[in-house]
Amino acid sequence: MVFNSYTFIVFFLVILILHNLPFSWKIKKINLLIASYIFYAAWNPPFILLLWMATIIDFFVGRALYTQPNKHKRHLLLVLSLCGNLGMLCFFKYGGFLLENFTHLVNALGVDYHPAKPNIILPAGISFYTFTTLCYTIDMYKKRSKPVKSMLDFSLFVTFFPHLVAGPIVRPPQLVPQFETPHKATQQQLMQGLLLISLGLFLKVVLADSMLAGTANNVFNSKDSLATLDAWMGVLAFSGQIFCDFAGYSTCAIGVASCLGFILPENFLYPYAAIGFSDFWRRWHITLSAWLRDYLYIPLGGNRKGKLRTYTNLMITMLLGGLWHGASWTFVVWGALHGFYLWIEKLIQDFRKMKMKPQVQTVIPSPVIVQGFMAPRFLRKVNSSNFLLALLTFFMINVTWVFFRAPDFTSAWRMLTSMFSHVKNGQVLLSTLSIIKVSIIIVGIVIFHWFMRNTRVVTVANKLPWWLLGIIWAVILLLLILSQESTSSFIYFQF
Amino acid sequence: MNSSNLKKAGILTALLVTGTLACWEIYLRSKGFPISYDDDAALWSTKRVKVYQPSDAATVFIGSSRIKYDLDIPTWENITGDKVIQLSMVGTSPRPFLEDLASDKNFKGKLIIDITEGLFFGRNKLSTEKTSREFENYYKTWTPAQKFSSYINYIIESGFVFLEKNKFSLNALLDDLPVIKRKGVSVRGVFPKGFGMNTSERQSFMDARFLKDTLQQKRQQQNWIQGNNFDKTPGISGDSLETIFKEVKNNIDKIKARGGQILFVRTPSTGDYRGAEEIAYPRQKYWDKLLSYTNTPGIYFEDYPETAHFICPEWSHLTSSDAVVYTNSLIKILIQEKGWSFPKKKISF
Repeated sequence: MVFNSYTFIVFFLVILILHNLPFSWKIKKINLLIASYIFYAAWNPPFILLLWMATIIDFFVGRALYTQPNKHKRHLLLVLSLCGNLGMLCFFKYGGFLLENFTHLVNALGVDYHPAKPNIILPAGISFYTFTTLCYTIDMYKKRSKPVKSMLDFSLFVTFFPHLVAGPIVRPPQLVPQFETPHKATQQQLMQGLLLISLGLFLKVVLADSMLAGTANNVFNSKDSLATLDAWMGVLAFSGQIFCDFAGYSTCAIGVASCLGFILPENFLYPYAAIGFSDFWRRWHITLSAWLRDYLYIPLGGNRKGKLRTYTNLMITMLLGGLWHGASWTFVVWGALHGFYLWIEKLIQDFRKMKMKPQVQTVIPSPVIVQGFMAPRFLRKVNSSNFLLALLTFFMINVTWVFFRAPDFTSAWRMLTSMFSHVKNGQVLLSTLSIIKVSIIIVGIVIFHWFMRNTRVVTVANKLPWWLLGIIWAVILLLLILSQESTSSFIYFQF
Repeated sequence: MNSSNLKKAGILTALLVTGTLACWEIYLRSKGFPISYDDDAALWSTKRVKVYQPSDAATVFIGSSRIKYDLDIPTWENITGDKVIQLSMVGTSPRPFLEDLASDKNFKGKLIIDITEGLFFGRNKLSTEKTSREFENYYKTWTPAQKFSSYINYIIESGFVFLEKNKFSLNALLDDLPVIKRKGVSVRGVFPKGFGMNTSERQSFMDARFLKDTLQQKRQQQNWIQGNNFDKTPGISGDSLETIFKEVKNNIDKIKARGGQILFVRTPSTGDYRGAEEIAYPRQKYWDKLLSYTNTPGIYFEDYPETAHFICPEWSHLTSSDAVVYTNSLIKILIQEKGWSFPKKKISF
């Protein structure tokens, strides 16, 4: 089920009513759990079995990991959990990719091997709920938090429908305690939730689907070299589309949870106003980058094992982060580019630190662990000159989106050539109206992100006079209704 | 902002949204726009799922836009007692649908295939079959949630004129803006708003305003001219044409082998459009050969006086009132000359 559908509106109204009836807290949680399974099964019913399997295995393995005194047995349990979770992810998401690469490899070695192409359907949201359950078992192994006492609470933690298929990726301490005590939305939470749902749907339906998707698809599906303007407009359109699509989903998810009285972590903080790439990753898909930092980068050694290891760890994290998004080498290159950008940024940071070392050391004590993802100090100030740096960051991010969106390297290279050189007889593809739409929206997004970069939409909404908020909200809803886009999936469902 | 202010903002929002939409709806109705349904993959799927009815209970139609305008579904259903399952699609070739039905072993009913030569024998397979393939894929992966949404959508669309995506969505309204065309970009002409209305049964029709307004009709004629419908270069021939005949015969044979009944139909076109079609797709080489190659009967509009006299306002489709007459004639020809029977009703002409 997708948020932008009539089915969801009916579904959500029923859940909202049930959640506000005078049932016991346990009954309400059972209602939410059943609703979450319906939400998932409405997409493809058989895949619910995978969800059940992951939930049951990780609940019992997690508990055993916490209570088992024998070190070897704990290792074995952790391996079992990792194999179960990652094995499922590998089979469904990377099975075809691995087979394809294996075939290329053996063919290159002269072995004539041509297996049938596997027809594997990717279960919606598998990457998200796998990461949710993985962090639970790893936390249990490291005894970072206590095991969830009830199977009901754990199942609801894994399956809670607002975050189930496309995040935010939640950690047990963020959600489980909320299930332990009765939660019902206050009037303020309900109204804020409705406002966030409206805003999220506006981003997804009006901006991503209605205004930007067509242009991005036109450009990236083209088999010819394009005129420079068309290539750039296509990339900018995708840049806006991917943000509005994914941030739209997260905003809806947070809004839906808020209407039920729960709080989900923020997932986007105006990333196109980022000053530098570490700042970008603190603002883009925050729950994933935090997950990768805590469960991959730091366990690899983070920046505690010397400069070379820090740079290597950073690159490994970004490469795997790229691969998480999709089973294709283009995603790996996307991750590699981000890793490279972070290297450059870190080099500048280290160079500046070296120059300022005597002063810095006397004034501010160095933290024991300096995170690789942390922004350099000079980039953290917000002033008009940094706006140019934000624009430079946005420009560089757009280059990476080419690899994220292009179906293969040939297309990506063709697009980059069109963007950065004058292609003779490059195809002129986009209409004047498409160019106007993309230009207005992208400029609007960048300016909006810049002015909002240190605040939150709810904070700003709370400061507005009620009549002005009412008018803005009405315009958002009217555009949403008038756009009449069909119920297309969110891009991140496929990840 | 405290919760009471948020509540006030919410109430103001509800009032503004309701008021604006009510005004917009009243305005469109006052302009004479009727209720029209989005002819999208969801609506198509609600019909595709019905093809398994017994052959004495339903007739399936596949084709391009002409049969959607020219077949009056209530007339057909009243006279024959058969249900119409309209699977034709605007601007596409029906060959992917024929292939789909042929490979579906559960389909063994009556099938009428509308032929618009420029699309059926189209040079650019990617363009003439793209939407058909997309609709088929949508149907094959139709989720329970999407089915339920289609049902609610149908209820809501039945009540509001403004919920017609092709005419009144944000993008459709923006397309009406007088924006200067970019040099080198071929932009499809915007169809007049009264041209492509749809019933919930997927019958298309032109509204009263369009039929009264010859300027709009001429604008649509210009759209056909600009949209390469007037390309007089001879259609495909040789091996490519032979491949199409083979493919169609193969699919038709599969349906016939299961007891299915099939017939081709060529609906009226007039004016310059008809002239261009006669040059690019001469009847002998395409229509006649198709019938003989596949050993399947057909009804060509020019062969019968009762279907040869129609005038299409924009050269390619019949008006609603002509569609009633055409449908009557089609049934009569089917029964009297092609040996079709409709056991549910006793039909006399």
